[in-house]
Amino acid sequence: MIRDITLGQYYNVESLIHRLDPRVKMAWTFMYIIGLFIINDFIGFVFAGICLALVIYMSKVPVKFMVRGLKPIFFIIVITFILNMLMIGGEVLVKWWIFSITKEGLKQASIMAIRLIMLIIGSSILTLTTKPINLTDGIEKALSPFKRFGFPAHEIAMMTTIALRFIPTLLEETDKIMKAQQARGADFESGNILRRAKQLIPILVPLFIGAFRIANDMAMAMEARCYRGGDHRTKMHSMQYEKRDFVAYGLIVVFLAAIILLRIYF
Amino acid sequence: MSIKVENLCHVYRKGLPEESKALDEVSFDVSDNQILGVIGHTGSGKSTLLQHLNGLLKADSGEISIDGMRLYAPEVSMLDIRKKVGLVFQYPEYQLFEETVAKDIAFGPKNLGLTEEEIDSRVREAMSLVNLDYDTFSEKSPFDLSGGQKRRVAIAGVLAMKPKILILDEPTAGLDPKTHKDILNMVVDIHRKEKNITVFVSHNMNDIANISDNIIVMDKGKCVLQGKPEEVFSHSDFIKSIGLDLPDVTQLMKDLGIEREDGKAIFSLDEAENMIFNMIGGSK
Ligand SMILES: Nc1ncnc2c1ncn2[C@@H]1O[C@H](COP(=O)(O)OP(=O)(O)OP(=O)(O)O)[C@@H](O)[C@H]1O
Ligand SMILES: [Mg+2]
Repeated sequence: MIRDITLGQYYNVESLIHRLDPRVKMAWTFMYIIGLFIINDFIGFVFAGICLALVIYMSKVPVKFMVRGLKPIFFIIVITFILNMLMIGGEVLVKWWIFSITKEGLKQASIMAIRLIMLIIGSSILTLTTKPINLTDGIEKALSPFKRFGFPAHEIAMMTTIALRFIPTLLEETDKIMKAQQARGADFESGNILRRAKQLIPILVPLFIGAFRIANDMAMAMEARCYRGGDHRTKMHSMQYEKRDFVAYGLIVVFLAAIILLRIYF
Repeated sequence: MSIKVENLCHVYRKGLPEESKALDEVSFDVSDNQILGVIGHTGSGKSTLLQHLNGLLKADSGEISIDGMRLYAPEVSMLDIRKKVGLVFQYPEYQLFEETVAKDIAFGPKNLGLTEEEIDSRVREAMSLVNLDYDTFSEKSPFDLSGGQKRRVAIAGVLAMKPKILILDEPTAGLDPKTHKDILNMVVDIHRKEKNITVFVSHNMNDIANISDNIIVMDKGKCVLQGKPEEVFSHSDFIKSIGLDLPDVTQLMKDLGIEREDGKAIFSLDEAENMIFNMIGGSK
């Protein structure tokens, strides 16, 4: 059901990847994505794929979890593949009516699809291995140098934390409301688009009312505990780099260098 | 009417590290015209169990039959089940969404595809069952009502579907003592009038003991005890060991050391009074 959505889900096990500083993991994800766009040949993807497989292995998160994240965007991948395949001109392999598949088109389409898949899997590792709270702490810390120029680093981090924190709550709420309306005979699965859109009203109205109620309660609870923004707030767990974090930073450089070399020499 | 549940198992979040077995080989029967009370500690699987009874959740293994109709048989449609089994959720007032009370109550009957007149008469009937005056409340917005009134509207929304089996998940949670009593009496009244099967969850042992014909006790997803209230509450040590409590009267009689000859628990105030008067040789 709706609760199976894995967006931003954390997979709770002990592993080296889980213990890494969130800033390192964010840097890794960022550089990995850049790397994926530098690569334009299969040999590069093989290399990146091996690195990805290693990280997945070390993270102890089951592969089927990573693949699950692909399901919702499977459709987009297929469309991208087909469009790329048909749009690019070159040496014609198959021709049918006004469509023609070219060798270059096929290659470009495969590269695009592989890139998308690896992008999703790679970036899901970040959220699968980092607790949302640590993630936002990491964001805050990474953005804090810009505070000097009036950049609201703490506020942004707090908003992100709350937004992430509310995803499961709202999903749970949606699930509950859907069930309650289904118990009254509502049917969300059949009918044409218009009918289905109308069927959303019994879910959306209570959901919005509930969301405002929860938001209000939460604001109240924060105020009751004297929350007044980021100034002078200290942290219970201050983030400190360890040796493994520096090693990981070093590996990013190696990874990017290897990808650039592969691009130049092959 | 009858409900038969056999070896029901349900696992939440299967395949995740936090997977939890919410129901573990639960079996019980409910026969016609009975009130079944369900008790258990927080998280023992009561709500999960109730959601199976009208097909909102599907069991991983096990069988449920409603009136001989097997819920998991391929030819059974969900609407058929929902027509027979009405489920009122925990805090049902949060599911209200229509502009007026009458429209909200009409949502269920409408989904059943009834005619306008039939829907209108059912709305009136359901409102009178929950003691809401039609003229005063039918055109009001459900969001302008008090908590207790909202809950009545939500219950009426399920009653309007005329279920043969009415399931209520903690219908009295979070209400003031008077509304609590009103809702409870209302449930018993409806049960008498409609001659339905009522399944009801509560954390209040007094209510459970007084209105149920039978009780099932849940603990960690297992149905650990079932029977008539006087039998269930005679296992006082066991009941306490799983985080529950005895009804006040039962506890009092136990503390006073007054027992019934057959060893069964005493929970009705009248019976307790009589026994105490017998003992001290007085009368009211
Ligand atoms: N949608 C869900 N996803 C995952 N786990 C769940 C879900 N719903 C319930 N659980 C878990 O299943 C177990 C049983 O929950 P359930 O809601 O049935 O308990 P309950 O007996 O109704 O408790 P309460 O008295 O608090 O209402 C709990 O451990 C709970 O954490
Ligand atoms: Mg419950």
